[in-house]
Amino acid sequence: MSSGGNQKVLKLLENYGIVLVLIGIMAFLTWTQPLYFLTAENLSNIIKQNAAPAMLALGMFIVIVTAGIDLSVGSVMALAMVSLAILDKSFGWPWYIVIFVGPLVGIAAGWVNGIGLTWLKLPHPFIMTLGTLNIARGLTNLVTNAAPVSGLQPEVRYAGREVYSLGIFDPPAGIPVSVLVVTVSALSLWFFLNRTNVGRHVYAIGGNPQAARVSGVNVDRVLIYVYMICGCFAGIAGLLLAGRTDSGFPNAGIGSELDAIAAVIIGGASFFGGRGTVGGVIAGVLIIGLMRNGLNLNNVSVFWQQILIGVVIIVAVYIDVLRRRAAVRK
Amino acid sequence: MKNLLIGSAILALMSGTAFADTYVLAMKGPGAGNPFWAAVEAGAMAKGAELGVEVVVLAPPSESDVQAQIAQIEDQIAKGVSGIALAPTDPNALAPVVDAARAKGIPVVFVDTRGANEGITFIGTNNEVGAGLAAKFICDNVAAGSDVAILQGIITQSTGQMRADGARMALEGCGLKVVAEQTAEWDRAKGMGVTENILTGNPGLAAIFGSNDNMALGAIEALKNAGKLDKVMVVGFDANPDAAASILAGEMTATIAQAPANMGGFGIESLVKLNKGETLDAWVDTGTVLVNSANAGDYK
Amino acid sequence: MSEPLLEGRGVAKYFGAITALQDVNFRVNTGEALGVVGDNGAGKSTLMKVLSGLYTPSEGSLYFDGKPVRFNSPRDARKVGIEMVYQDFALAGNLPIYENIFLGREPGRKIAGLTILDRGLARQMAQDHLDKLKIHVKSIDQNVEELSGGQRQAVAIARATAFDAKVVIMDEPTAALAIKEVGKVLDLINTLKSHGVSVIIISHRMDDIFYACDRVMALYQGTNFAEAPLPQTNRNEVIGWIMGTKGHTEGFAHDKVN
Repeated sequence: MSSGGNQKVLKLLENYGIVLVLIGIMAFLTWTQPLYFLTAENLSNIIKQNAAPAMLALGMFIVIVTAGIDLSVGSVMALAMVSLAILDKSFGWPWYIVIFVGPLVGIAAGWVNGIGLTWLKLPHPFIMTLGTLNIARGLTNLVTNAAPVSGLQPEVRYAGREVYSLGIFDPPAGIPVSVLVVTVSALSLWFFLNRTNVGRHVYAIGGNPQAARVSGVNVDRVLIYVYMICGCFAGIAGLLLAGRTDSGFPNAGIGSELDAIAAVIIGGASFFGGRGTVGGVIAGVLIIGLMRNGLNLNNVSVFWQQILIGVVIIVAVYIDVLRRRAAVRK
Repeated sequence: MKNLLIGSAILALMSGTAFADTYVLAMKGPGAGNPFWAAVEAGAMAKGAELGVEVVVLAPPSESDVQAQIAQIEDQIAKGVSGIALAPTDPNALAPVVDAARAKGIPVVFVDTRGANEGITFIGTNNEVGAGLAAKFICDNVAAGSDVAILQGIITQSTGQMRADGARMALEGCGLKVVAEQTAEWDRAKGMGVTENILTGNPGLAAIFGSNDNMALGAIEALKNAGKLDKVMVVGFDANPDAAASILAGEMTATIAQAPANMGGFGIESLVKLNKGETLDAWVDTGTVLVNSANAGDYK
Repeated sequence: MSEPLLEGRGVAKYFGAITALQDVNFRVNTGEALGVVGDNGAGKSTLMKVLSGLYTPSEGSLYFDGKPVRFNSPRDARKVGIEMVYQDFALAGNLPIYENIFLGREPGRKIAGLTILDRGLARQMAQDHLDKLKIHVKSIDQNVEELSGGQRQAVAIARATAFDAKVVIMDEPTAALAIKEVGKVLDLINTLKSHGVSVIIISHRMDDIFYACDRVMALYQGTNFAEAPLPQTNRNEVIGWIMGTKGHTEGFAHDKVN
């Protein structure tokens, strides 16, 4: 009985040791910028800046669990953004329809990715999503003529912009609505992956697709759902970003897919599938976000930020490699 | 022990006062790799030294990384800086964060590129006038009715828009035919690629106006490869040192000099004035000058 | 004799121009352990795939419990109680033992096409099942990748028998195991038999066949070749069947030096 308990503690550390890393980084940043880091305004800035990247990372996570990848999330986010902006601004659609356009565009793009992978039997999702990356970006530029569409209805901007000051905080500090969106999305994803059968099948497909198949799991269908979920989250990210910037601009999200992958890997998911937690992904997003914020506060050039993030990715994966080696020896 | 306490108290005081007069120059792109932004940065730093204020220069990793610039401005607002001179990567996307700065009482001016917010002083080139100068030079030096092409910058930015508009109006106004007008996004390599395509479709091309020197230099590469450099006149915009060298070498024919150092310098100066309660004009023109082989030596 | 539990009559399977099986007759009785032998390409795997529902026979028919049956997918075969244990186990190493046992058939509440897992129930059922089969593991929460080859095989067998299986087909069950683990798996097969489950074992290892099986049949070039209850045959005869020859007796033994 007690060996089962030890087992559980080890597993807990394995999955959530990253929270300790996060606390360590925050302590370090408080020490270097005591006046500004731990203020309500700075902390709510960090949340606002990382809400859309968090959505992208959550979507990327479920895809990576199946040992796949989705390179198109940045472009799909942009496509969702400009679609809702155009329907709002140029076509004057009412806000209660416009807010769903973002996620719907994302779901459609995800469905295309899923179909390409399963029906067309393309050899690897890298190839399919590389294609949709370009298609989505091209469509984005086409429908906007490469110019941003700005000036959205305030209700449409609500999720991305609104901050609850709750009477305690001075604006612009406060609880951003976007963090509620991210929290609900993260909790839903966690519930799906850990408490439902299809969620467990997602992990099984990542671990051994053949095992899933012979157990009667419809692997193709589950993969299509997975890519649709990823696309949906990218669409929600587009809604949040549109609210934050009051515009749908076609250059949005260039390179964001790489940040999403970085956050997922730093958060402890395995690139080869079958492993990782939602909490780890959020921690990965926060680690990158905190690093960026800390370097901004210290007026460090953005180029150093890029170098540092690259180093952290390599270190994170190396730690994972060491841990796995130690686990096998047991 | 007592020394330690006194020392840290002084340090704390210093760090307190050191942040009292910090002005931020938020450029559109890094000074590294673009002599234009390097000159803006230099002008701002010089003015800061002259006025005795601290100047922090920031830039996103690339001119299209809007989110990075927004985050940078937000973080500076949280630090309570004394003023922000901003060249927005996307005027509309940056508008909310500019409003946030003003709401907190931080003065803002736009440099080089206009923002979308009302009531904010713009310090920069009259790009339309400058492009018109370049177009007039082309008009005076090619045969009437010839084919000409325009390389645009990022057209969603006011700089790109105004240079393209100014050039087009002046060129068509003096009877030339604008057969191609395409964007190369301020980039040298893209300028080369776009020019190659334009040449293929328009063998009789007489002149190319590049909205900035980088793209114009790319166009010159393409013309050299096609063996057409002596047949097509290239005029740029910015008068950066590479362009000046190119003019002296007989490759580029002319360019328009802005005064990027003025943009940086006037930017910081204006912010200090705003903090003192003075009012500014809506537009501070930093000036344009035609640069050809006669005066290119000044711009090297 | 009592009626066979699972029977195939005149089963043939063609893949285009290739004849994998031709006029194969097959039967296994309740609580019987049947060994199936044959060289590579003799049709053993194909026959098992037909029986477990992965393939449909091109000709011939299958009978379960005396009634004719038709399997369009492995699901249909599992519904009737025919399960398969694969040579490479087909387990998800990154998931714990109890999740692997119920993969695809997780217990819980069904809402809107999803099943909300009842982990407590699944763990309880898994533990009970492993106890019934006398399989010992440190914890059912262990991930399968932490187990030895023999333990994984045991988990694969546990998965095959978790839902009231009547016939369990095992493809080379001891091929990937260390020597000391082989005995445990063979004992497991005996435990299954004692619970009334029929076991079909494809194997190359004569020791296993002669330890665990009641009857042995041989396929050669896609059709029935020979068959006998274990007490009436010997190793050399069976090896001869694999090679397509009959009539070997003790006299032709290769391992006897005169």
